[in-house]
Amino acid sequence: MSERAELYFNVDHGYLEGLVRGCKANLLTQKDYINLVQCETLEDLKIHLQTTDYGNFLANETNPLTVSKIDTEMRKKLCREFEYFRNHSLEPLSTFLTYMTCSYMIDNVILLMNGALQKKSVKEVLAKCHPLGRFTEMEAVNIAETTSDLFRAVLVETPLAPFFQDCMSENALDELNIELLRNKLYKSYLEEFYKFCKNHGDVTAEIMCPILEFEADRRAVIITLNSFGTELSKEDREALFPTCGKLYPEGLRLLAQAEDFEQMKRVADHYGVYKPLFEAVGGSGGKTLEDVFYEREVQMNVLAFNRQFHYGVFYAYVKLKEQEMRNIVWIAECISQRHRTKINSYIPIL
Amino acid sequence: MGSMFRSEEVALVQLFLPTAAAYSCVSQLGELGLVEFRDLNASVSAFQRRFVVDVRRCEELEKTFTFLQEEVRRAGLVLSPPEGKLPAPPPRDLLRIQEETDRLAQELRDVRGNQQALRAQLHQLRLHSAVLGQSHGPPMAAAAYAEGPSSERTPLISAPGGSHTDLKVNFVAGAVEPHKAAALERLLWRACRGFLIASFREMESQLEDPVTGEPATWMTFVISYWGEQIGQKIRKITDCFHCHIFPYLEQEQARHGVLQQLQQQSQELQEVLEETERFLSQVLGRVQQLLPSGQVQVRKMKAVYLALNQCSVSTTHKCLIAEGWCAACDLPALQQALQDSSSEAGVSAVAHRIPCRDMPPTLIRTNRFTASFQGIVDAYGVGRYQEVNPAPYTIITFPFLFAVMFGDVGHGLLMFLFALAMVLMENRPAVKAAQNEIWQTFFGGRYLLLLMGLFSIYTGFIYNECFSRATTIFPSGWSVAAMANQSGWSDKYLSQHPVLTLDPNIPGVFLGPYPFGIDPVWSLASNHLSFLNSFKMKMSVILGVTHMAFGVFLSIFNHVHFGQAHRLLLETLPELIFLLGLFGYLVFLVVYKWLQVSVSSAASAPSILIHFINMFLFAHSSTNLPLFPGQEVTQYTLVVLALAMVPVLLLGTPLYLLRQHHRRHHPQMGIQDENKDRLLDSSDASISENGWSPDEEKAGCPGDEEAEFVASEAFMHQAIHTIEFCLGCISNTASYLRLWALSLAHAQLSEVLWAMVMRVGLSMGREVGVAAVVLVPVFAAFAVMTVAILLVMEGLSAFLHALRLHWVEFQNKFYLGTGYKLSPFTFTTDD
Repeated sequence: MSERAELYFNVDHGYLEGLVRGCKANLLTQKDYINLVQCETLEDLKIHLQTTDYGNFLANETNPLTVSKIDTEMRKKLCREFEYFRNHSLEPLSTFLTYMTCSYMIDNVILLMNGALQKKSVKEVLAKCHPLGRFTEMEAVNIAETTSDLFRAVLVETPLAPFFQDCMSENALDELNIELLRNKLYKSYLEEFYKFCKNHGDVTAEIMCPILEFEADRRAVIITLNSFGTELSKEDREALFPTCGKLYPEGLRLLAQAEDFEQMKRVADHYGVYKPLFEAVGGSGGKTLEDVFYEREVQMNVLAFNRQFHYGVFYAYVKLKEQEMRNIVWIAECISQRHRTKINSYIPIL
Repeated sequence: MGSMFRSEEVALVQLFLPTAAAYSCVSQLGELGLVEFRDLNASVSAFQRRFVVDVRRCEELEKTFTFLQEEVRRAGLVLSPPEGKLPAPPPRDLLRIQEETDRLAQELRDVRGNQQALRAQLHQLRLHSAVLGQSHGPPMAAAAYAEGPSSERTPLISAPGGSHTDLKVNFVAGAVEPHKAAALERLLWRACRGFLIASFREMESQLEDPVTGEPATWMTFVISYWGEQIGQKIRKITDCFHCHIFPYLEQEQARHGVLQQLQQQSQELQEVLEETERFLSQVLGRVQQLLPSGQVQVRKMKAVYLALNQCSVSTTHKCLIAEGWCAACDLPALQQALQDSSSEAGVSAVAHRIPCRDMPPTLIRTNRFTASFQGIVDAYGVGRYQEVNPAPYTIITFPFLFAVMFGDVGHGLLMFLFALAMVLMENRPAVKAAQNEIWQTFFGGRYLLLLMGLFSIYTGFIYNECFSRATTIFPSGWSVAAMANQSGWSDKYLSQHPVLTLDPNIPGVFLGPYPFGIDPVWSLASNHLSFLNSFKMKMSVILGVTHMAFGVFLSIFNHVHFGQAHRLLLETLPELIFLLGLFGYLVFLVVYKWLQVSVSSAASAPSILIHFINMFLFAHSSTNLPLFPGQEVTQYTLVVLALAMVPVLLLGTPLYLLRQHHRRHHPQMGIQDENKDRLLDSSDASISENGWSPDEEKAGCPGDEEAEFVASEAFMHQAIHTIEFCLGCISNTASYLRLWALSLAHAQLSEVLWAMVMRVGLSMGREVGVAAVVLVPVFAAFAVMTVAILLVMEGLSAFLHALRLHWVEFQNKFYLGTGYKLSPFTFTTDD
């Protein structure tokens, strides 16, 4: 199977893989970051970004330049690239790309529902939605009152539909339920995606499975961290953990019992992969757990480019680009708020 | 023309530009295109430079220009290119231009905004009237159901209370973009669990989108429903699909009234819109006048500021210091230009030469004739500064070697005429402006093609081939009549033997060589091919050895120019002896045998091949007669001499350099010239960093002379060079045999084309009528195939091989091609 895949991979996906590798080569380098950090104003930042692959993507923005404008334009650019990939993709790559967009769709749906709950106008919330996760029925989510309503009326035609099987309920959608919904959706999404990659086999499975395992474990840890001091019961908590990670099953059970950070750390100590990550927290530069996870993610994504003939490069590229955008936004925020002391705590892409 | 032989002297100049006049000076230099500025602020990032604010203002202005241009383009108007000479505007004018443009842009934005608003309004009105105007059958029917007595269709409503009569049927009517219609319909159905009846219908006429102006067919819909809750849901859903919702009156008459009102409104709006558009076109007309010149001016201005950004500021802040490369002969012009443009400021700008250790850029001025030949050389690599330029020799050798492979009078003539047509109409603007890339390639090489065609005609005459047919310009040197008379061929003999032999030994049969080229009688001979093969093979070797020897010879000029006498003795001389001693001797043998061996002794003629092989083996063949007395001794001497040259070539230069190095280090003797030579020779990297060029050596620049001399590197480099040269002599000579192979292929291919197409056509019909009818398509096929296969395809392949012979076999004997071009700061765009 794997030999054949390598033989025929380029027939269907060679062009796109070449393209995505070219795009990856244009990510900002360490030198670019050093230059960006030196910028005094956002205008400087813009001038410097012009010399990179971003080109004159801000050329038609009216003054004054703000961080959110930069962010929007960057997202639009990524979205354009992704759309191009998607429009030129063949099966099963197109399914893979659809899976990639699902996480953004989940985020958007949750965002819109939260917005509706807080009586914000749809337009305002829409602006915050990630363009990669846009779909036609998206704005209609606020007509639904229960999750099954939501599923039946709005989302049944979208790629999100299969993830709903575990979270049908007639509960009213309050804030807690929405959060639970998000995590349940995400759990079944990750498990599905994992299954898809696993079934696909080949290099794609070899590359994507570790990345998704890590993603699942990260979610489990983050859920645990966020549930300290809330009324979420331990059983409920365990039900939210994605089960496709390395922590499954013992680690997850232990995590479900954890009551504070120290206990969580003790769980992680059993795992060679996560032990160094937890040890790095709070070390030099006061890194948060999130930063450490991001760094690890970047590392894995960069490594994905060392293998050929697999779909992981598309996932890795989008994630790396997202990290780069987070970095630029971070630097831009630091510049615009004149808060330069922390400007260096972006996460470099190796 | 003298500058073609090597690149011009280029000097590093330092320009002192008074702050007040810097701008005008640089803009003047941009007009003239004399100086290539060096970036003196390479370590400073783009946004920390001195004129970054001005650059940003220019960019701001360009942004506005882009907006204006986009508007003009959208209105379907074209911008004419600016007329006349537009210098970069003085900095104070920027404000004026900026104000003017901003005002215009603002005006345009306002008018455009108005127009958009009006259009959107009109669009809305049209949609509304379309919704009302379309008769939607189903809602009416639904209303009838609801109002009438209970039917099977409405069990859900009638079930709970049965008081359905007071339930009012409501309508939502609107329009939606067609691609969303299906999704909307399904969502409505699912969300309201079917408690509604929706009717979708495509609009009859297309409406222009108010923003993009693209026509689109919208879907109108009427939804009838019961109950307020569902109504709210429907409204929400239609909202999120960005539908246009309009009030929908139930009574037919009322709807008619509204419809008429709408039509009236839209008519009024149409008039207002027309007025606005008229005004818009006025504004656009003004933009059309202003924009082209403004764009050019601002672009120039930005270029000037970018150039100024490369200058450093003097300590007193009185002036800017720029450095740049400038051709030595342009220096007076540069001084003059600086003086002229800084005269207003009171302090004059000055330029003076400064010594430098970097390798200056290469400048070779070309005209439209030499440009394409220089292009061939530059495509391999731009020559090092003041290195011998192969281009002037390429002018003749390239078309000639091409023609050797492409020799055919007819094909050459076609090519020549095509090139001549291009040359004759080169000044026509339509030809110049053509954008087709393939055409541009041919047009750029028109003089090359012209010479190639000309030389092909020449070699075609030598091969005596015109579309593969031989021509009889002079009487043939062979006489069949004499042969027939002398040998007494009987009629019977003739009828039995389709092939006859002409014996040149019989007097009167061979009268003497044909005056020019190959005797046409050979085209009838059955041994035509073996005769030509022998001729073409020897010709290829002779041409190749001559070409290569010429290349080695040219390296003498390099060594003399750079003052490297030792390389003359230790490299060029051994190389020449090696090449000429072995392969020059082969050429001598060929020519000697041609001249010496006559027809009578042909049977016992010695074989050059055996001789040449024996020469290397130091062997002796008794069956092979010597060509001339003392041949063996001569051959032994030559081989020994040539082999003796290999160690000289291998060790000569490195040992010499090593000695120089030691001598320089122990007693401080000033043998700087050799030192420099050593640097030039040792590695390319050290060339670019260190010792450059004799003239600044004379200028007395005490640079870093103590650059490391790495003996092993020098030996390694020389060993590679030696191996490459010695093996190259053999393989390159063999490589020239491609001349033979390609000319053979060309001749055979045209022969095949003639025999398979034209001859078949000509032998088709004996009657005039038939022949005429048949010959038209046959000739058409022949012509098309001649052009497509023999001219274009074969021409390209011969071109490619000629290119290779020049780049590899010829230029590696003397040409390094590691330089870079002088690219002066100029406003004019290259064609």
